[in-house]
Amino acid sequence: MSADRATPRETRRAIDRATHRAVRTASDPAASPSTGPGPDPVLDIRDLSVVYRTPAGDVRAVDRVNLALGAGEVVGLAGESGSGKSTLVYGACRLLRAPALVTQGSVTYRGRRVQQPAELLKMRPDELQRLRWREIAIVFQSAMNALNPVLRVRDQLLDVIHAHLKMPRSEARERAGSLLDLVGIPRSRLRSYPHELSGGMRQRVMIAMALATEPEIVIMDEPTTALDVVVQRDILAQIVELKERLGFSILFITHDLSLLLELADRIAVMYAGQLLEVGTADEIHHEPSHPYTKGLLNSFPSLRGPRRELAGIPGSPPDLHNPSPGCPFVPRCAHATDACTEVDMLLLPVATSGDPEHVTACPFVLPDAPAPRAAAAGTPASGASGPGELRTAGELGS
Amino acid sequence: MSEQVLTSAAAERGPLAMEAISVSKDFRIGRGEILHAVRDVSFNLYRGAVVALVGESGSGKSTAARLLAGQERLTSGTIRLDGKPAKVSNRRDFRRYKSEVQLVFQDPFASLNPVHTVRYHLERPVKLHQKAANVSQEVVALLEQVRLTPAKHFLPKYPHELSGGQRQRVSFARALAARPRVLLADEPVSMLDVSIRLEMLSLLDDLRQRFRLAMLYITHDIASARYFADEILVMYAGQIVERGPAEELTQHPAHPYTQLLVASAPDPDNLGSALRGSARRARGSQAARGSLKAESAAKQGCPFSFRCPFADDRCRRDDPALIQLSPTRAAACWRLDIAAPEVLSGLPGGGGATTS
Repeated sequence: MSADRATPRETRRAIDRATHRAVRTASDPAASPSTGPGPDPVLDIRDLSVVYRTPAGDVRAVDRVNLALGAGEVVGLAGESGSGKSTLVYGACRLLRAPALVTQGSVTYRGRRVQQPAELLKMRPDELQRLRWREIAIVFQSAMNALNPVLRVRDQLLDVIHAHLKMPRSEARERAGSLLDLVGIPRSRLRSYPHELSGGMRQRVMIAMALATEPEIVIMDEPTTALDVVVQRDILAQIVELKERLGFSILFITHDLSLLLELADRIAVMYAGQLLEVGTADEIHHEPSHPYTKGLLNSFPSLRGPRRELAGIPGSPPDLHNPSPGCPFVPRCAHATDACTEVDMLLLPVATSGDPEHVTACPFVLPDAPAPRAAAAGTPASGASGPGELRTAGELGS
Repeated sequence: MSEQVLTSAAAERGPLAMEAISVSKDFRIGRGEILHAVRDVSFNLYRGAVVALVGESGSGKSTAARLLAGQERLTSGTIRLDGKPAKVSNRRDFRRYKSEVQLVFQDPFASLNPVHTVRYHLERPVKLHQKAANVSQEVVALLEQVRLTPAKHFLPKYPHELSGGQRQRVSFARALAARPRVLLADEPVSMLDVSIRLEMLSLLDDLRQRFRLAMLYITHDIASARYFADEILVMYAGQIVERGPAEELTQHPAHPYTQLLVASAPDPDNLGSALRGSARRARGSQAARGSLKAESAAKQGCPFSFRCPFADDRCRRDDPALIQLSPTRAAACWRLDIAAPEVLSGLPGGGGATTS
């Protein structure tokens, strides 16, 4: 949480002008959630596989994953630790080093600033250098470790600016200041070292750094995991606001599905290196199809609505050294049958869903099938309890 | 703060195990400045019941736990264990106290020693606190209690060979090794994956019932407190600003800060109006965001006043005491009639509660 007072609007405008970018969303504040990434996604990951070479054999961390990110879209990637969600994204951006190895697939980037689609996995290092951060920026998980403890905030911001943009010193300094304005940190903090900032402020600095080059895509790897709920809410609201103003796309990685339900346009659920279900936030929330998604939805306690029995997901993620054939979720699945271990699971449209983009890897359980517990707790009935005081609370917390 | 005895929501659960009476802790932070980390905090822990201490980082909740654990000297106030004042002044007293009161830390990655095995981590407290016990049998039993089975499989493992959830189970087992009556759990699940948290909380719940532990559950996630705790204490800037039975407090929060906490919790059911695409939200957040310099703002008046949408001159001038709203609920706010009228009117005898 920062000590900011209302950020000067002029500076925001200046940033927008500087890049000759219209405030795209000024006329369209609702940023209508689309059902799919559209015909020309900004980032198109196809059939990507990543393995970790170990003496004991290959660990298939990411197994033939397809994921697309549309322009201006927020795509959430949800999964437990070890599910391969970070490996997928870092692999797609070529940020992994040995023993990680991308064994197959393609990653296509189509930005407004590049002439033709760029193939990330085939790029030369100098091309990659131009693309990184300028087009695709990352907010790393732990701001504590991602910021350099012996450099002032200003120097770290200037570093990014000088490395990726051609700009005179004075202009770069001004830009560093306006970036802090953007994320609501007073400019006096430019002289601070990371340890002098609160956790929320550090994370904001990371976001400012990612936005320094006006990237097309911002990848957020658990940006709020170490923060408490009030700060988390605040930062998420700020991310959404910035996204609407600057018009970038977000790939949001988290283990907390409840965040994504509020934040993302589309959600991909990852487990053991595979995508198990992809759909809009609404579909994932109200018509989850895969038993794992249902389990995730039932793992977090809800503050609103009646208290319901929470089941969680028993067991632990599988060992990727020796993947068993068929569905990776079988050992923890309440609906598993013999057939589940015999067929390879493919992402296919959910039969009961009208949206062909809502796909699931489980052909056996339909959304309305009796799950071990009611997964769709978000039916209108549950919102009915005590709306009065929650509404005031909502005003407060916004 | 009020002198009257606050009847805990957990009272019927079991005998009183631990009392914190007007506990305060000040830290000197250089140049004569003093940080009041915990101020005048009172509460009771009963056997077999869970009290949740909820607040944001820096609110003093972890300091409160360390005070109860005897690891920090009190500035003022008393802590009583089974009716007797806690003695931790010398080594022997401290050890005896520790065998009754155990602390579980937040970060299982940091709280286990990376160069020692699970066996070592559990044998030590067993030897220290249970003199006559058959050590290896006891260690196996501990692992089974935290559902790390087969125990043989886990005994020779080092922390880095375990997942986060397994590590946290080991630290639960380590705390239980002393056979404590009071377990202080400082954010025991917040470092874990959401999908694992629930399992860990149900394990804690199971242990609470089995050993009739008096438990203090510290968290910033008020939603989990709703499910796990009997009573919730909401802490802000070192003070308890609201307390009450878990369900009642989360469904009808009275203090504006509690309302903020409740509103900040992720709410998937609230799809349309929430984070997605509403400029109104972003503007409103400026007001609530304020500054986290709680200590500087708290010098005068209500510590929450500068973030509070209901604050008036009185709030900025005088610090409100906890006002008893009902036998089980209390809140420290001057403006409850504005902030939470339905709580005042909905409670028996709430009409006269605004004056203390």
